[in-house]
Amino acid sequence: MVTREDVENIALLSKLFVPEEELDGLTKSMQEIIDFADAINNAPADGEGFDNINNLSNVYREDEVVPSYDCKEILCNAPEQAEDHFLVRNRE
Amino acid sequence: MKYELVAGFETHIELSTKTKIFCGCTTQFGGEPNTHCCPVCIGLPGTLPKLNREVVRYAIKAGLAVHGEIAEIAKMDRKNYCYPDLAKAYQISQLYAPLIIGGYVELSNGRKIRLHHIHIEEDAGKLIHKHGDTYVDYNRGGVPLIEIVSEPDIRSIDEAKEYVERLQQVMRYIGVSDCKMQEGSMRCDVNISVRPEGSEKLGTRTEIKNMNSINNIAKAMEYEFERQTDLIESGGKVVQETLRYDDASGTTSSMRSKEDAHDYRYFRDPDLVTINISREEVEEIRASLPELPAEKFKRYTEELGIPEKDAQLLTKYRKISEFFDEACEGVKSAKSVSNFIIGQIFRRTETEADKEQFDVAVKPKQLNELVKLLDSGKIRNNLAKSTLEKMLDSGKGALDFISEADMGGVDDNALLELCKAAVESNPKAVEDFKNGKEKALKALVGNVMKNSRGKADAVAAEAKIKELIG
Repeated sequence: MVTREDVENIALLSKLFVPEEELDGLTKSMQEIIDFADAINNAPADGEGFDNINNLSNVYREDEVVPSYDCKEILCNAPEQAEDHFLVRNRE
Repeated sequence: MKYELVAGFETHIELSTKTKIFCGCTTQFGGEPNTHCCPVCIGLPGTLPKLNREVVRYAIKAGLAVHGEIAEIAKMDRKNYCYPDLAKAYQISQLYAPLIIGGYVELSNGRKIRLHHIHIEEDAGKLIHKHGDTYVDYNRGGVPLIEIVSEPDIRSIDEAKEYVERLQQVMRYIGVSDCKMQEGSMRCDVNISVRPEGSEKLGTRTEIKNMNSINNIAKAMEYEFERQTDLIESGGKVVQETLRYDDASGTTSSMRSKEDAHDYRYFRDPDLVTINISREEVEEIRASLPELPAEKFKRYTEELGIPEKDAQLLTKYRKISEFFDEACEGVKSAKSVSNFIIGQIFRRTETEADKEQFDVAVKPKQLNELVKLLDSGKIRNNLAKSTLEKMLDSGKGALDFISEADMGGVDDNALLELCKAAVESNPKAVEDFKNGKEKALKALVGNVMKNSRGKADAVAAEAKIKELIG
């Protein structure tokens, strides 16, 4: 069972702000998603070939260097940065 | 009671491909922080990893070099864990269908350390802990690794050291990695347990993480063996846990116990398709492998008559063995070639780094010419030695220092004359020898060698002089 607390917790981990009035709706939606996943989990899939239904194999890149991104671009979405590094604050 | 050490290794080796495993960023070591990165290797949502073909080839090479079986079908899995060294919160690795199954590393005592498997995966980024915070550099994130997982077949610290050295040697020979432990391109996790000698049952093991030098591996294992033995002797029990080794104090300490061990929730990575390895490709790669150090060692000792100790020195680095092979072409005495390399040339390549580079002034072909002169009896060993020194000083060939007059050796008549002259001109030495001073004989032989400009056969001269004065 998905609870309101689960949704709040996941929102926190995902760094999303969820207004109070949306919590009930989201709890219901999330329960439906879990139910759907459970239904898939229960489908018989013991046979061969279920992990590669598009029958693709050996999709490779050649070992050729392409220019990397500028450090500034790499860091532009970082919540915090220092000295050209991603900065992870110690919570204590 | 006597206790036996039991250890298994998980060895991470960075492959020296030009680019990362799933994107085209360079794998060069170091660089300014976060300058070898792109959206794929910093794990931005919506990016698609694409496997580097060369990583698969390098891993197959590595697998063949340690006698592993190359899987026909391999797959990539996600190993989920949340730590800032991986931006995606999972590492792409292999669990259910690794590329290489089995294999072994043979040690000099004849024991084979069996391998469980070898898989490919991506390296994590580098964390720098300072001012109480963590600074993350993803340059290393996504660099291709192979992880070589051994069975718990190692029974001593010496075996452990040799196992790591052998892996290092063979991986360098086939050129898949530089295996520099100090730069982190080779790192070991050591699983270690103890059991009463003669027992078949494995004891509870601990795992020492991320060892980055052979010395530290030995010290950490020694400490851990003592600690576990003492614990059992005093009635305690070893707890299964992950340890870190502290170099400064020479002790291990707990990182986490089995209770809070990770559940990685491995599952197939849906972004990466199945890897099918054709048997043709495997054979093609097998054919491209150079002669491996163990094979060379066997050939040197069994076919060329090189003593084991010398063969070990010659096969330690690929460049030395290739130098030796080239210098041996068509010579009668491979032993002479070996002696010149281990003697004169090694004196000028003192450090391990120099030996690995093996950048010496004399080319293999030049040594080959010198040894052929020696083989044919045109020059004697002494002259060959002093000539080699001159060649090493100048980079010039043997014939720049040896004239026609030097060659041709000394026939029996000439030798007799030289010996007579030596005896006549050194009455004191003759007297000393007659009075039992064996050493005095050396002075007389030295005189013959000097006057023949090194061409005389010292052994024959000694016999002749003894005849004359004995």
